[in-house]
Amino acid sequence: MGTTALERELKRGSTELLILALIEDQPRHGYEIGRLIEERSEGTISFHVASLYPTLYRLEDRGLIEGRWVERPEQRRRKYYRLTPQGRKVLSSQRSVWREFFAALDRVARIRHA
Amino acid sequence: MTEWKTRIRETCANAGHVLDEDVLEELSLHASSEFQKVRAGGMDEAEALRHVEAIVEAWSHDPLMLCRRPRRPPLLESPSASTRRLTGLAADLRYALRLCARQPGFALLVVLTMALGIAATSTLFSVVHGVLLKPLPWPHADQLIRLTETRQGSTRPMPGTMTNATYLPWRDGASTIDGLAAWSPRTMTLTGSGDAQRVRVVAITASLFPLLGASPVMGTRFEAQSEVPGSDSVVISYGFWERELGRDQNVLGRKIQLDGRGYTIVAVMPRDFAFPDRLTRAWVPFYIPPLIDASGNGRALSMFNAMARLRPGTTASQAAAEATARGRSGPDAGLVAIAVFGSNGPIEVSAAPALDSITGEVRRPMLLLMLAVGLLLITATANVASLQLARATVRRREIAIRAAIGAGAARLMRQILIENLLLGLCGGLVGLALSGALHSALPSLAPPDFPRLDDVTLDSNVLGFTALISILTALGFGLLPAIRLRRMNLAESLSQGVERGDGTGLHTARTRVLIMAGQVAIASLLLIGAGLLVRSFYAMLHADRGFDSANLLTARLPMPATLYPASRRAAIIDGVLMSLRQTDGVGKAAYTDSLPLTGSESRSSFIMRRPGADSPVNVSTLTHTVSHDYFAALGIRIVEGRGFTESDTAASPHVAVVNRAFAQKYLGSSPVGARLPAIGNWQTDCEVVGVSENVIRQGIGDDLQPALYLLQPQTQVSAFSALVIRVAGEPRTFIESLKAAVKAQDPSLALESVMTMEDRIGSSLARPRLYAVILGGFALFALIIAGVGLFGVLSYSVAQRSTEIAVRTAVGARPLDIACLILREAFGITVSGLVIGIGSALILVSYLSTLLYGVRVYDALTFVSVPLILCVITLLACALPSLRAIRIDPIRGMRGKWVEKN
Repeated sequence: MGTTALERELKRGSTELLILALIEDQPRHGYEIGRLIEERSEGTISFHVASLYPTLYRLEDRGLIEGRWVERPEQRRRKYYRLTPQGRKVLSSQRSVWREFFAALDRVARIRHA
Repeated sequence: MTEWKTRIRETCANAGHVLDEDVLEELSLHASSEFQKVRAGGMDEAEALRHVEAIVEAWSHDPLMLCRRPRRPPLLESPSASTRRLTGLAADLRYALRLCARQPGFALLVVLTMALGIAATSTLFSVVHGVLLKPLPWPHADQLIRLTETRQGSTRPMPGTMTNATYLPWRDGASTIDGLAAWSPRTMTLTGSGDAQRVRVVAITASLFPLLGASPVMGTRFEAQSEVPGSDSVVISYGFWERELGRDQNVLGRKIQLDGRGYTIVAVMPRDFAFPDRLTRAWVPFYIPPLIDASGNGRALSMFNAMARLRPGTTASQAAAEATARGRSGPDAGLVAIAVFGSNGPIEVSAAPALDSITGEVRRPMLLLMLAVGLLLITATANVASLQLARATVRRREIAIRAAIGAGAARLMRQILIENLLLGLCGGLVGLALSGALHSALPSLAPPDFPRLDDVTLDSNVLGFTALISILTALGFGLLPAIRLRRMNLAESLSQGVERGDGTGLHTARTRVLIMAGQVAIASLLLIGAGLLVRSFYAMLHADRGFDSANLLTARLPMPATLYPASRRAAIIDGVLMSLRQTDGVGKAAYTDSLPLTGSESRSSFIMRRPGADSPVNVSTLTHTVSHDYFAALGIRIVEGRGFTESDTAASPHVAVVNRAFAQKYLGSSPVGARLPAIGNWQTDCEVVGVSENVIRQGIGDDLQPALYLLQPQTQVSAFSALVIRVAGEPRTFIESLKAAVKAQDPSLALESVMTMEDRIGSSLARPRLYAVILGGFALFALIIAGVGLFGVLSYSVAQRSTEIAVRTAVGARPLDIACLILREAFGITVSGLVIGIGSALILVSYLSTLLYGVRVYDALTFVSVPLILCVITLLACALPSLRAIRIDPIRGMRGKWVEKN
């Protein structure tokens, strides 16, 4: 597998984790989620908006997140997503999987994750 | 944003996808945000557009977008879970305030109605709480009992009175009580510091303060040794110490002059100590003499008040039984008992908890008034509920709009309840202020002998009660509109006009008619109660008391025997009467030892042979010593024989006048000329020269008692003298002349209780008058509420039925027919209310029976006039709505438009 292919697979595998982690502390709208992923990964991770919303809807259908339209003073109404209790469990479990994955990588390929 | 939405929709449609509206909106928001971001980042518009369009293009090719159609979320976001219950409360409150500000008239009407209802309820509750419910202010007051002694066969109840015949044998070695104490109030003349003044002093046994658990702030309580004749110790009240003695710290041992005798102050009581009432300024030792004097011949029945503390585990009836047995084991009081009790049967003692005994007379009226004020509050609440229902109908559109933009039923109910709570609490606050004003006026409104008025305070209990009824009434008048809200049809409410009749309006109208009938019922019930009390009061006021109360000035002139010997007293009285007779405008002036309506009376008992009868009879009679002009001054008719004349002197044969009751009971058909045995300190018998009309001495409903009038020059002038002056014109204008006449005789003499006889009668009727005024006020308030409420319901009904009325007019109904339509509806309500109200009154009035005089509980006049009054009120309430109904324009009315003809 080439580097580009590896990146694609990694992104696909990590998208759910990224979304769940971003709305762990506070509800956020879709645009903000996309922007934050891009900003915080300093451009390393940016997925096409085309895949952001389907992922959000999929997560919502699975009951891991919950979207609500919210109207705030002097703002247009936006759909905010927040973590459901089930989503919180899944996030926690995904974090352990990634943690174990990185530990294994480190042991085998000497790659230390931050 | 709309532009992006359209663009995304079209792009996706071109690609064969139809997106859900919510997805479209979310994507367009994203697109718009992205556009703004890149523009802000310096991209020119065309490039930015291309950038965003590329994103939209990517979306349109992603089939995943169509994977799901998200569930439609609620129109508005509900508050987050952590703050759900409280979020928006401030907004609701602000909204409620804005509504009040928008309709200040309505808010004012609601607040005032509730304030009046709450003020009346809260004030009456504070009186009931202070008088009936609050424990007496002494430790373990529930163990205290008041004692009443009587004789078997007695016809003269004397509640709260005990005699030495029972007290002394029971006091020592009683097994059911831990203490026994007696007291006897009196008025004494205080001299030595400025003008002579009459002060209330209570003679008490040394056991009283320990029985009450009361200790002085300074000095020591009386010792048992102080209970001897002529003891000169005195305990003073805190008020006396403050006002008369300037808080002198060395007051113990100081002497004060009471009735001309020096009394040594031995103690000062605490500020909050009052016994038996707040008027008492000092206490002196009370010597209770034995029934039989030291010589073994004379019998002296000493009468006083008594109280005991029950031993733990014993009951009042056990104590009464022991007292009865002890009393019966003592010496017989003989004729003296007949004089006092009207019978010399075996002693009987009854005991009642002190609180019941003190408040017994006012308990029933207070509870009845509390019931009445409860009804008043219900009617006030119902009135506001009715107003709120009408308003809720008018506000349907507004509420429907709020519901349509996402407010749930619970939120809307909360909003309505908050509005009503706000009004209710405002009503409560204003009511509390009114109640405070009523409290400060209470001492002047209530009769002076009303028990425990000092204990009536606006304390935390009353405040809590007021807050509770404010909230409950607010819920009461707020719930109906809130419940009605649940049944509201959103679509209809949004689409229909306010005044068109529909289901909700009909429901509201029906509910309001039911409420109205209830209000009429309550108004009629209160009116009947008030009518009976007012009629009874009128009957009492105008009852024939046997004397003419008009133009009569009366006063007491106490002359303590210690300062004024009998001869001096006689000279003073003669001098005062002489001076008064020479005053312009004074018709007759007379002396007596006991004025009617003052509660003072002396009794005699003797054995006499009844004319024509073989066996002697025990005579028990009231005895009054009067001067020559007494009958003329008081306007007492002499029905047989003659009154006293100038020819009756100290030296002439003793004469007496008896009243009709005496003559009938003891003298038979020919009373004039009958001879009575020697009475008091007379050495010879006397002749009855005349029979006077019976005089009602005290309570209007009391039994008429035999009375014997003796002439003042032939008997001593009492130390408790009184004067009766008949004048031409306003009696009060003669008060100064009276004072001057007394001062001329002795400047140190103090007149007491200077009042016109009509004021005296008014004062004796203070309680019935108070009850009549309170219930009358409640009834008037209820009547106004019912009248205004009826007007409101009828006006509303005319608005609701405008189409129907228009149709009727169009098909030929005359104005009279239309008016009859309204009248029929109005009288339907009134008659239903009257049936319920009068039906309830027929059951409830029996509880008023003990308060009524001269009027039967089923008084025809009252039971007929109340429905008539309500019918008149109904007619008045119909006038304007009928006129409006008649003036409805048939053409526009049929279109449902509320337009009157020009």
